[in-house]
Amino acid sequence: MKSVRRLLATWTGIVFVFFYLPIAIMILFSFNQSKLNIVWTGFTLDWYAALWHDSVLVRTLQNSLIVASVTTVLSVVLGTVGGWLLYRYRYRASGLLETFVFLPMIVPEVILGVSLLILFVTIGLQLGYTTIIISHVTFCFPFVMAAVQARLAGLDPALEEAALDLGATPVQAFTKVLVPYLMPAIISGALMSFTLSLDELIVTYFTASARTRTLPLEIFGRVKKGLDPSLNAISTVFILVTVTAVFLTEALRRRNP
Amino acid sequence: MRQEATRFNAAATERQRQPGRAGWLLLSPVIAWAIAFVIAPALIMLVYSFARRGTLGGVILGFTLENYASVLDPVYLQIVIRSIYYAGITTAVCLCAGYPVAFLIGRADPRWRNLLLMAVMVPFWTSFLIRTYAWVTILKSEGLLNSLLIQLNLISQPLEMLYTPGAVVLGLVYTFLPFMILPIYSSVEKLDGALIEAALDLGAGPMRAFSRVIVPLTTPGIAAGVLLVFVPSLGLYAVNDILGGGRVDMIGNIIENQFKGNARNWPFGAALGTTLLVSFGFIYWFVNQRQRATAAR
Amino acid sequence: MTRIASHTLGALAAALAMLACSDSAPPPAPSSEAAVPAAPAAPQPAEAAGELNLFAWSEYVPQSVLEAFTKETGIRVNYESYGSNEEMLAKLMSGAANYDLIQPSEYVVEALVKENLLVPLDKAKLPNLKNVGPEYWKQPHDPGLSYSVPYMQGTVGIIVNTEKVKDPVTGYADVFQPKYKGRIVILDDALEIVTWGLATQGIAPDGVTKENLEKVRPVLAAWLPLVKVYDSDSPKTALLNGDVDLGIAWSGEAAILIKEQPGKFAYVLPKEGAHMFIDNLVIPKGAQHVDAAHQFIDYILRPEVSLQISEEFPYTNPNLEARKLLSPEDQANPASYPPGNPKLATFRDIGALAADVDKLFTDLKAKSGS
Repeated sequence: MKSVRRLLATWTGIVFVFFYLPIAIMILFSFNQSKLNIVWTGFTLDWYAALWHDSVLVRTLQNSLIVASVTTVLSVVLGTVGGWLLYRYRYRASGLLETFVFLPMIVPEVILGVSLLILFVTIGLQLGYTTIIISHVTFCFPFVMAAVQARLAGLDPALEEAALDLGATPVQAFTKVLVPYLMPAIISGALMSFTLSLDELIVTYFTASARTRTLPLEIFGRVKKGLDPSLNAISTVFILVTVTAVFLTEALRRRNP
Repeated sequence: MRQEATRFNAAATERQRQPGRAGWLLLSPVIAWAIAFVIAPALIMLVYSFARRGTLGGVILGFTLENYASVLDPVYLQIVIRSIYYAGITTAVCLCAGYPVAFLIGRADPRWRNLLLMAVMVPFWTSFLIRTYAWVTILKSEGLLNSLLIQLNLISQPLEMLYTPGAVVLGLVYTFLPFMILPIYSSVEKLDGALIEAALDLGAGPMRAFSRVIVPLTTPGIAAGVLLVFVPSLGLYAVNDILGGGRVDMIGNIIENQFKGNARNWPFGAALGTTLLVSFGFIYWFVNQRQRATAAR
Repeated sequence: MTRIASHTLGALAAALAMLACSDSAPPPAPSSEAAVPAAPAAPQPAEAAGELNLFAWSEYVPQSVLEAFTKETGIRVNYESYGSNEEMLAKLMSGAANYDLIQPSEYVVEALVKENLLVPLDKAKLPNLKNVGPEYWKQPHDPGLSYSVPYMQGTVGIIVNTEKVKDPVTGYADVFQPKYKGRIVILDDALEIVTWGLATQGIAPDGVTKENLEKVRPVLAAWLPLVKVYDSDSPKTALLNGDVDLGIAWSGEAAILIKEQPGKFAYVLPKEGAHMFIDNLVIPKGAQHVDAAHQFIDYILRPEVSLQISEEFPYTNPNLEARKLLSPEDQANPASYPPGNPKLATFRDIGALAADVDKLFTDLKAKSGS
């Protein structure tokens, strides 16, 4: 068994190198002098300084974070409740509903974008955060639901019944028994939603307004002029802040559990 | 793809209750969402797929079947087949590469699990374009990997890695691997360690324990992972453009082009999209029904 | 188990706090889910003349120019951007339009005029229009500039890495030779490629017809297997990386390459004839701030403002007064101001044939691909 474990650890190590190699390159090139991001010409901190004056880049990152966080919360609620209910009860036409819920995962982004835009225009909804978030939740919450359903598979519905027998209200049974059980699926669903929303380009193009442009739209726009290293710099700062915050909360939690 | 998960679901059917008013009420947000933001836009596309091409994009409403006739044109069929082929390879590689990682995280000390999970996701909180161009820097003929291999005297001439089908698969695997790892992780996490021990105690080798005990128990996670990787990778084409040099079109390129490219042929794009949706929807619904029927018998 | 949720939230809060410091107007906190969508859902009131909704190519209008315009006039510019003419049309045709100013290329202007979707310009409000060079007043897409004002002009030509390619390259036929197989990058653009093929048959870009498409099919069928990379977004990348040695791309890409690595790259306008594109400013029907749009156009036409744009984007400036202010080096950049008297033509609106052009290209590409 020990050799198996060592093999697993080695393989996981290789996969993590694979994951982080491009990130290392990205960080390295955020210190590169050349504007064109292609050959290493020398060390500089200019791109971080440039970031300070690039209000557009900072504002679009803000928009992305707002959209991604709200999308994640809504997707988790819809996906968890939906996944659990469809598992718990025998609805008429539940297969049909499931099929429709999973459709946005396969709809090509451009079709989802155009058709949602036409819908928003028809019902008179102004483009802005609301429209972006609606469109993002539409393709993100199936990911949460798929994860939740996979976790529920094989679970004995009696678990919940036992809680009810012990005098818990249905709400308590859900929050005290099921949610903790589902937590690993909820977390992976939330991570997937956040990641998908943060980096979505095409649907966002159609559903955003001038003031609610997100970072991917801005970055894509800059490709033509050459992706200058300030884009690497802003990604680096974002990752560093995230990682630091994760470690700080972890350290705090471990000190006073 | 999720038939396995569905079978598990179906096994529990007998214990499922009829939903009361509360059950329907709780489900109503999901139903409303599906109607408003999935079915309504899908109907718009359905209507468009029978319309005629507008001069500047957009459509002239009407009824014609010629858009669906074009879908069956061999020019486009060959591209559909190729897309399925690439998505299939990507899914297989993701499964083989991702399963061990998900297994390790799922069996790790609980204190480390969530940190490891975050570590899987954090690289993807950067822009897709920046990540993918970083791969260009690594794979190009005067790039990092070639220099490294030459330094190590493993090769004497730079290998052609960028702008090859291999680079496309690499890019797709890179993009979708986390979506395989996460669902499998949540299945592995609930494995009962005692079951594996028991299998080993009964004389099963690690391989047998794996194939007879672990894999069947994590099938729902595998099924979800396959769904989350295969389906989106059918439509993703930006990897193909940047790492593959755009030499081979994917189904995603073709649809994209009808709306955002020279063609400006929305009805044809809508017809392609509708065909894709209906075939996916039908396969999913059919498998789902069959599993339920089998379970009910 | 909820640890990771708190991690994520903690990380987000920290990131937002950091962002809020560097921005004057912090966004609503993301933690309360209800607060966020509620605020922007309220329709944004259009302050009369105080606003301008500009829908233009990405990175084409410098931020500094927009800021200076706002400072001078008090009109705030909302700049939304797109990456291709068709992408712009897709959003415009969905009906999301309350744009005051858009920036289409010449063949799209022609189609928009045909469809009666543009507001005619009030030339009394554009005293600086006189700075536009005379050749731009007689282009077929909008003779007399009744609807459009040229913003920048460019060409599509051949970029050669002179260190690797020693034989002279003067036209399309010199690029698509078997000896260059796997060393070529071209635009991923069906119409462009078809017109190159037509040019070798002595047909101008306005000659796109069903019969001519059949004529050009064998030419392209021989060309496409030689191509290594199709890229419309950043064709310079493959050239800079040394993965290819020849390219056919926008003059702006060439100008950047020539500026970045002097002496290594040459820009050649094909002798068979080259595409000249003109990006224009036009006012779409339904615009709510027509006056502000005119003010903006006239502002852009000022020589010193136009010069700023030229300095940031090395295209050909149609503004003759601005050209005079350019540095000698910039005026000598052959990608921006090609010497001699090259054979140039603009694209025309090809209507429904666009779908056939796309299908031809898709087919040939699929057959030549690996």
